[in-house]
Amino acid sequence: MHFKKYIFTILFLVSFYVYSQSSQKLNIGLETIMQYYVDDPVTGNFNGTNRFRSNNYFKFDYNVSKFSFGLQLESYYSQALLNYSPHLDKKIGIGTYYAAYKNKKLAVTLGYYYEQFGSGLILRSWEDRQLGINNALRGIRLKYYPTNKLNFTILYGQQRVGFKVSEGQIFGFDTNFDASSEQISLLMGLSYVGRYQNFKPLYTIDADHNRDFNPLTSAISGRINIAQGHIYANLEGVWKSKDNLVELGNIIGNKAFYGNALQLEAGYSKKGFGFTTTFRRLENMTFYADRQANGNTYNELIINYLPALTRQQDYSLANIYVYSAQAKLSFNPLNKAGEIGYQTDIYYKIPKKTFLGGKYGTMVALNISNWYGLAADFLTPYKRINTKFLTFGKAYFKDFTLEVRKKLNKNNKMIYTFIHSYYNKAMVEETQGEVKSNVVAAEWSHKFTGYKSMRAELQHLWTKEDKGNWAAALAEFNFNTHLGIFMGDMYNYGNPDENHQNHYYNFGGSYTKNGNRYAVSYGRQREGLLCVGGVCRVVSAATGFTFSANISF
Amino acid sequence: MKKIVILILLTTSITFGQKKLPNLKLQDINGKPESLYNFTKNKTLVLSFWATWCGPCVNELDAIADQYEDLQDNGFELIAISMDDSRTKSRVKALVNGKDWPYTILLDPNQSLKRHLNFANIPYVLIVKNGEIVYTHSGYNPGSEEEIIEKFKQLK
Repeated sequence: MHFKKYIFTILFLVSFYVYSQSSQKLNIGLETIMQYYVDDPVTGNFNGTNRFRSNNYFKFDYNVSKFSFGLQLESYYSQALLNYSPHLDKKIGIGTYYAAYKNKKLAVTLGYYYEQFGSGLILRSWEDRQLGINNALRGIRLKYYPTNKLNFTILYGQQRVGFKVSEGQIFGFDTNFDASSEQISLLMGLSYVGRYQNFKPLYTIDADHNRDFNPLTSAISGRINIAQGHIYANLEGVWKSKDNLVELGNIIGNKAFYGNALQLEAGYSKKGFGFTTTFRRLENMTFYADRQANGNTYNELIINYLPALTRQQDYSLANIYVYSAQAKLSFNPLNKAGEIGYQTDIYYKIPKKTFLGGKYGTMVALNISNWYGLAADFLTPYKRINTKFLTFGKAYFKDFTLEVRKKLNKNNKMIYTFIHSYYNKAMVEETQGEVKSNVVAAEWSHKFTGYKSMRAELQHLWTKEDKGNWAAALAEFNFNTHLGIFMGDMYNYGNPDENHQNHYYNFGGSYTKNGNRYAVSYGRQREGLLCVGGVCRVVSAATGFTFSANISF
Repeated sequence: MKKIVILILLTTSITFGQKKLPNLKLQDINGKPESLYNFTKNKTLVLSFWATWCGPCVNELDAIADQYEDLQDNGFELIAISMDDSRTKSRVKALVNGKDWPYTILLDPNQSLKRHLNFANIPYVLIVKNGEIVYTHSGYNPGSEEEIIEKFKQLK
């Protein structure tokens, strides 16, 4: 019966679209990803209930003068794709909706909205369908712009989780002030985020066991961004009030700890040269709309955005050992208080008509990132901790990447990449082992006549630890700007267990027209971490067919 | 299942026309709020959505940068809108200057424009004429920049 209702909603919207077409005020977006899983001795026989699964998103936005309305329908049929949260398993439902009003000075949104305060260290709600993240807030948001140098945001809402919302209620306030002059750009901001969740802690034997429980947790942040000529610097600090320890989804009522974050970015750049470096320290900075969600594997109910500050690698073998930010305080199973570290990027263009620059110039990019556990004295049996301010603890992740891009002539281009990395698997994934690895990748792209082109990649990963060496290759051929095919393979030939020296192949094609894209592929998915934008999700091994389409009107 | 197919067919069978570019607040390369409208009014230009971590996007913008001086003589203009969020935003300035890109750069760190335009992947290119979207292109293959340049000439 529900089905019918939604079909009518769609029909209504479609007819509305036809009606309003002359004014082009309705935007429609459609995304579908369908997978059919097959049995494969290498990735394991499929033992789930449904072999065919799909994630479908239908988004409608309608604008009329100062008002706008929107709706996102989501359908997970027969259930959500493998490794997505079971909270999404619904044949069809309303994911988000909103009604908004906006004029020059004021913007009001009712319903679901996406928001970010500062760099997101204190609050960010966003959607990433690939990762299965949609932590939109449902409630009300007011934005006020008294002058173009000053703005205020105030919001209230509960966070989306699956087709429901959090128990916890979020209150937010944000203000930004632009104090720039002709010579210098100077931006300042202040934010507050409160979470109210009156949750009964696990231990309720006597009052003492809950003595550290406060339904309201507050976080305050301040930031300042300065830029002048070639130089810039951004500083942001966050303080979070006492937040209860969560162990394996249980809230410990008599143990609560302060949290804080400090981030400093600085850079220098001029024509042909760019340098940027970021330092960040996170202490007990995980912040969830519902406390018991702390550390959940689906990245649900996250209030703030704590991405890994490392280079986002392009190549498949460089994405086997990937870091994710370690912000959580824990005593069990491991003692962890947070993370501290830095990353630096350098971009340099070797000028044209020099020995190394050649006819077109050569682009060199270097990234160095080093991340450590936050050093602290742990009194584990009593769950007490004494953190150090600027002391680096155990190494968690180190990465050195050098990339050289060279245009050989009008039709040929090469990219060479070298990566050396150290990954403390035991501390990051809370399993075992440490992995030192080297990756080399070469990529060649070539233009034929008449928009035909091809691209090829060769990669190799060396390591003595974990699963040993890997080799990978990828070839892509484009018949024109619309139609392309690809095939690729990752081969774990160095796996010490000979029964697991597997090939992970994939092949498929895509068709693109008017900004719409349709793709089909067949292949094996490696077990591991899938990371987008520094946020990772665990994916299990699987083999199958995939069809995807992205369409917008 | 049948219903989903019907839904897809319904939505795809609609004919569509030109769409207005929403006037949103983005940021300039220093993070200062800027209205998109101020950049797009009364002219034809190319908007390219990219990010520092997106290989094909960087390749596309590199390829156009190589011939930008000549193109500018014919009125070609491109604004590169970075979708980098706070993870990689600090890299934008270093990369743009390091590569010596000639484009105006805008930032959309929480993807508000992407949500309004309903596209899923980058690179994504629009040609905008007097605030109306007259051409869209998604993805990049070596050489596909030529098609964008050609289209621009036709639509200008």
